[in-house]
This record gives sequence, structure tokens and C-alpha cells, in this order.
Amino acid sequence: MRFLRHLAVVVLLVAVVVAGGLAWGHFVPGPLPDRGPGGLGQLVVRGRAVRRLPSGARIPAGLHVNSGPENLGLTSMFQAVNLPVLRDTVEIEAGVVVGVVIIEIGHRRWRRARRASRLAATPAPPPGTIT
Amino acid sequence: MGVRIAARTRLDFWYDAVLFLGFTLAYSYGFTGIGIHEWLGLGLGLALLIHLTLHWDWVIRTTRKLVRPRGHDKLIWLVNLALLVAMTLCILSGILISRVALPYLGISLTGIGPFWSALHTTTAEVTLGLVPVHVALRWRWIVRIGRRLLAWRPR
Repeated sequence: MRFLRHLAVVVLLVAVVVAGGLAWGHFVPGPLPDRGPGGLGQLVVRGRAVRRLPSGARIPAGLHVNSGPENLGLTSMFQAVNLPVLRDTVEIEAGVVVGVVIIEIGHRRWRRARRASRLAATPAPPPGTIT
Repeated sequence: MGVRIAARTRLDFWYDAVLFLGFTLAYSYGFTGIGIHEWLGLGLGLALLIHLTLHWDWVIRTTRKLVRPRGHDKLIWLVNLALLVAMTLCILSGILISRVALPYLGISLTGIGPFWSALHTTTAEVTLGLVPVHVALRWRWIVRIGRRLLAWRPR
């Protein structure tokens, strides 16, 4: 019951964001740069995931590319040749995680050191004093 | 000493791990192909509703404490709010520009302009930045529970 009550509130909250998004799209459909119908589509060129083909590069015959309006990519799911796209995502995520963890550890150490120096600067109460 | 972990903690850990994996796959559109990308995205949308519901008590507790000066929870709260907005808009725009899942369900939308495609790309990139931050801000909990869950226990 409690779960359902919370779920109802969450659905309501999401509905508010959805309504905001639809209003944004209806009244002010800008100023986001349109990157074409490929959207999130990435290509794999020489083992690297890229957003678009470098000038002069050609897609080898027989290679399926999962982007573009014509190719729905239904026959090219989980192909090993496209693994660099997944690797690219994992590398970005790992980079951000490592960065945040390093910052968090640094921040915590700095806070501890500051607290310790503040305690050291505070004169100790005379013995027998109840604080 | 035996390792005892509450069932709820166990559920949170594995559910969130699957969500993270699902998001990583869904973002890697070029690897999964559009069919899996779209169905996975829809599934993630539902799973995220459950995720938020499971943590609703935290949302209420932290929102009440927002006026207090301590910063860590405030940062997590802000990241989570941004993530909620970005992910909701990403899934919404994904549904609107769907080329596989919606037609399969017999739904066809007309008059969907390039705005939604651009919004989908932008919010997906914002989400890709925020999801690892969301995970990393809880790294101590993940390491602590992960160690206990994955610890080898001789019988």
C-alpha cells in the first residue's frame, strides 16, 4: 500500500516533467542544435567509435551501420564490430566515476584537515570544567 | 562471523547494478541497434519509476533537510533532480521519435519535428554525464555492500 502510494506520487512528479517537456516542444521548440536523424548513432571507424565519418573515409561494403533514417539496424544487434561504441560509453562512465571519487576523497580529506586544525586552535577547557 | 545483509539492501544493490548496465547498453545505440535501444529505453523508463519509488523515503528525508548547511546530501539531491528531468525528457523524446517500438505497438505519431530528435540526443548526453556522477557519489556504499555481497564465504 505504502509502495503504491509512493509510486503514485512518483508518477505524478514524472507527469509534471513530461508536461513541461511537451510544453517546451510545443511553444518554444528551440534552441537545441539538431544533429540530424542519426541522433545517438555512432559509427565504428578503424576500431574507434565516432559520431560521423571523417572526411575521405568510406564504409566497407557489407558493413552494417546502425544509424541513419533508412537502416533500422534490426539485423545488426550486438555485432562484435560495433563493440567500440559500447567501449566508448564504458570509458566515459568510468572516467566520470573515477573523477568524482577522486574529488570526493580529496574534499573529505580537506574537510578533516580543516576540522583538525580548528580543534587544535581551540584552547582546551580547564580540567574539571563541564561543557 | 557471517555476513548478513538486509534483503532490501540486497535488492537495492542488484536492481541498481542492472539499471546501470541497462543504461550503458541503451546509450550504446551503435552497438545494440535501434530495436534493442528502443525496447531497452522503454524498459528503463518503467524500471526508473520503480527505482525512484523505492527511494522515495530518501527523497522526502533529504528534501526536508535541504535548509541545513551540510552540503553532501544537497549535492546528491541536485544531481538526482537533474537526472530525473534529463532522463524523463530523454525517454519522452525517445518515445516520440520511436521508429520501431511504437509502430510495433500500432501507434504512429505525426508532426514530430527535429526538436525532439535534438532533445533526445542532448538529454542522453547530459544523462551519460550525470549517471556516473549519481553512482560515484554513493561509491562508499557500493564498495561496502559489494564487498559483503561478493565476498567468498567458505562453508
